[in-house]
Amino acid sequence: MSTVPSLAAVADPPPRYVDGAAMDYFVIEMVNALRASSAVATARTKKVEQEMIDAGLMPAPAPPPPALKKEQMRESMGSNLSLSSLSKTGREGDEEELRARLEAIGMHVGANMAERLCHDRGLFTDTLDAIKFICKDLWNACWDKQVDNLRTNHRGVYVLQDNAFKPLTRISDPHVIRS
Amino acid sequence: MPPQLRLNAVAFVSPQNHPILIRTFVQGQDELKYHYIAHTSLDVIDERITAAIASKSTECYLNLLYTMEDVAVYGYMTPLKVKIIIALALTDAVVRDADVLTIFRALHTAYRQSVANPFLRLNAPIDGYNDHAILLAAGSPKWKAFRKRVDDIGKAVGAVAVSV
Repeated sequence: MSTVPSLAAVADPPPRYVDGAAMDYFVIEMVNALRASSAVATARTKKVEQEMIDAGLMPAPAPPPPALKKEQMRESMGSNLSLSSLSKTGREGDEEELRARLEAIGMHVGANMAERLCHDRGLFTDTLDAIKFICKDLWNACWDKQVDNLRTNHRGVYVLQDNAFKPLTRISDPHVIRS
Repeated sequence: MPPQLRLNAVAFVSPQNHPILIRTFVQGQDELKYHYIAHTSLDVIDERITAAIASKSTECYLNLLYTMEDVAVYGYMTPLKVKIIIALALTDAVVRDADVLTIFRALHTAYRQSVANPFLRLNAPIDGYNDHAILLAAGSPKWKAFRKRVDDIGKAVGAVAVSV
């Protein structure tokens, strides 16, 4: 019996499923695991840096003046330069690495899901077509609903509006009075 | 014995027109020839795509691009602008569109599964998603899974009989 799979089986492989509950558990544990992992990575690079400073190959970094710290925190919200994170003081540096890792995972998984969903459709005619694909197919695959409102100014700005974003629906609001 | 489709070569080209993987299945022939074939196909593909855009078609399958001495070259462009080019040995038998389309879908699936590998970017900076080099790395000799998948498809094609 030949071990070569039939062409039809390879062309359209049956979708493989993952247990939903297992995935939820993994996602819950993910943030802590990544926090530990990024702490290890930062510790490792700091150690190498310290060795180089001791060997005299690198000048010792100047301590950041306290007046600039607040600005640095605000900057780290927008940018994701992991290079500069090492020079920032302790807590912000760790959060920075964690955020960079989470974002990279999100990009990777999102891009692969989009590629998978593109398999059966034809080419995109224009940018609007691509945005509509995101609003309908991608949103449906991730969160079982479509984007509620899509607006554009026809000059390259698109606004996607979701009235009940699944990841946020279960987060409680401390100011809501429960009766 | 019904004549069979023979897949001579497969080429994957990135959206920036860099070759990702070029694989040949015929012994005793110069592999460079298929590099040339893939390169000239790029121009033909560009023409077909502009024609397709002009006629508002959304077909991924670009059908027969051209024929050379002993090979027929077919093209396919994925929605993410990755181009797949295959060279089939010319036979007298009728080659069904559906068969070639199945081959392309199998190749697209193999590409998609190989590029999804998160270990491809182990040594790349965390931030660079659209890192072009990662796509190219998928085809390099270090990452064998992609080649193996493409080889499996080549063997599977050989096992498909073509109806006369």
